[in-house]
Amino acid sequence: MASTAPSLTLPPSQFARLQPHAYLLAHLSPPASSNQPSIRANGRAPAQFRVTSANTGSLTHTNGSAVVRVGDTTAVCGVRAEILPTDDIASWSVSHTSSRTTNKRQKLANSDSEEQQEEEDPNDKSHIQDLNLLVPNLSLSTGCAPGFIPGAPPSALAQSLSHQILNLLHSTRLVRAEDLRVWYQPPSLGGESLERHNAEEQMDVDDEGTGKEDDGEKAEVKAFWVLYIDVMIVSLAGNPFDAAWAAVLAALRDTKLPKASWDVDNEIVVCSDKVSEARKLALRGLPVASSFGVFEADAAAGWRAVIVPDAEEERLIEEGARKGIQRRWVLADPDGYEEGLSQERACVVVDKKQGKTVIVKMEKNGGWALDGQALKEVVEISARRWEEVKSILEQC
Amino acid sequence: MTDRRRINGPPSGTRPAVFAPSLKSASSISTGRPRRQRQPNELRKIFLKTGLIPSASGSAYLEFEPSASLAASRSSPQSLIPPSSALKLACTVHGPKPLPRSASFSPNLVLTTHIKYAPFAARQRKGHIRDASERDLGVHLETALRGVIVAERWPKSGLDITITILEAEDDRWWGDAPDSHDAPWGMMNVLAGCITAASAAIADARIDCLDLVAGGVAAIVSDEPAEGESSSPKLMLDTDPAEHKSILSACVVAYMPSRDEITEIWLKGDHSKASLGTDDKTLGHEALIDGAVNAARGAHTVLTEAVKESAERFAGLMLGGNTA
Repeated sequence: MASTAPSLTLPPSQFARLQPHAYLLAHLSPPASSNQPSIRANGRAPAQFRVTSANTGSLTHTNGSAVVRVGDTTAVCGVRAEILPTDDIASWSVSHTSSRTTNKRQKLANSDSEEQQEEEDPNDKSHIQDLNLLVPNLSLSTGCAPGFIPGAPPSALAQSLSHQILNLLHSTRLVRAEDLRVWYQPPSLGGESLERHNAEEQMDVDDEGTGKEDDGEKAEVKAFWVLYIDVMIVSLAGNPFDAAWAAVLAALRDTKLPKASWDVDNEIVVCSDKVSEARKLALRGLPVASSFGVFEADAAAGWRAVIVPDAEEERLIEEGARKGIQRRWVLADPDGYEEGLSQERACVVVDKKQGKTVIVKMEKNGGWALDGQALKEVVEISARRWEEVKSILEQC
Repeated sequence: MTDRRRINGPPSGTRPAVFAPSLKSASSISTGRPRRQRQPNELRKIFLKTGLIPSASGSAYLEFEPSASLAASRSSPQSLIPPSSALKLACTVHGPKPLPRSASFSPNLVLTTHIKYAPFAARQRKGHIRDASERDLGVHLETALRGVIVAERWPKSGLDITITILEAEDDRWWGDAPDSHDAPWGMMNVLAGCITAASAAIADARIDCLDLVAGGVAAIVSDEPAEGESSSPKLMLDTDPAEHKSILSACVVAYMPSRDEITEIWLKGDHSKASLGTDDKTLGHEALIDGAVNAARGAHTVLTEAVKESAERFAGLMLGGNTA
């Protein structure tokens, strides 16, 4: 056939470029006679994610690092910890001088090991959020895709992704504030020497120190660790958020903070360089992000205004569904090609606690195709994805 | 003025962690300096792979083999301070593509190069905005590549070369005082790596070149003498700055072996004082350039393999595309 009309045949790759919508639709809804399953242009089933791999700890100058590849999208994340002395925090002495008593400190130390008691720490959220202890930034100007000009300020997409990561870090309370605190326990001096110590202190006119010094046994926070979480999207082929979040998660799981202590003589925080004394972050849970795109058979769907379908339209769709004609597909982990064709997006972040699926974040925009029923299915797919990602992260 | 497009840390800024050993006096920790385990003319192994970034017309990933000390500290970690670091970078080529309408006419291919360190690439955290040294590296790379590309084949077109450095080379050993080495020697190794990777990526993008250009570094170093050795300055190829007490001068070249041409040369430091033995009549800088050229020849063998691999992949793609 092709030999009689050679001018009409196109290789699939060119057809995909000329008629992207028709190309994907033809893959998803093959003629009933052909007995082929509905499959995406990239060979995946609608609910199938791309092959994911992760590797951690390969970057020398980071406290924790990870490379996550989701298909052709590659994200590199490096976590660098730096010190924020409380002396540098402008409002610290005003708002936080009521340092904890020792038994409170003890309780906090105990609650570290106990998952159940984690809500004991009231300052957890406020410290991490108010003091900006987590600083995630995502960069797309790495030549990852032709559209992003290197050297230009971060694009709207990059800014939005950075903020999504920050919000998710805050709302999941992934990092414990206790892990980021550097405590100092003043030596408990005898009565005589304490007096002398106080006298010295007053001579120094150290307006910050005097308030605390009258009780030498009180432990106080001398500094915080600030985690700079930088994500470089090295290669972009759709769905950057899932890859970036997985990289952040893997890097934080890999992060080791050195043992830090307050050096009274030099008045700086000194870290021990011994690997045996460094400790890993104790993260809360393992939230995994899964993104979806909705592909509609009606090519004009993307152009019309988003309106709630009227009864007539709804009836037509239901009728079509009864006849076995599918008009919409929810595509998991859309690649760059599919992202351009789907107007409606959804992102679900789930975690599993004691076998129960917990929805940490749900975001959906751009259309009305995903209703309650479809969202339930999406969450189920995300829960399956959670198992998959968990095993990948635990292997690396 | 804060950067409103990025998430900034605490407004007062933060300080890098200070490790206890670095507070001690320099003499007490000088024993910890990593030693070069390679021969003077032995290069580190280079890992070079093309085509890892499918959305770009050409791409390459380059990694240097970690030096012996770094490999040892990775396999059995003792200290949190890494003894040295190994270069890791990703290079993408976008183009040739039409110039924007606002650009003036150009009869040649317009080459733009961007080199950016990742914030976590070096021992000191790097900023998000390119600093002077990164721009400098970009200019050096541009001159190295301009002499290689047959630019008149693509009038009115542009070619963007972007390099992201994920891990840079150290400028000095961490135990040395910051002012003990006058120049950022690590930049030279980074540039050599950038040239080799960019050359592979350009070949992967199938842009006509005169030859495959490769980068190489040589340096004249004077180390603490081991027992029974003179402390005269020595010529070393592919130096890791962390392994040497003082680098007198260093040179990086971009070299095309089949044409025996140098497209870029960058020589730094004082090589007049360095006499390479009494029997050696050649001048310091000539020996240095020859050494760098030899290092580039070594990198060229890796480059050829990578480009061959890229060509095979492309041939397979064309074949597969036709039969499908």
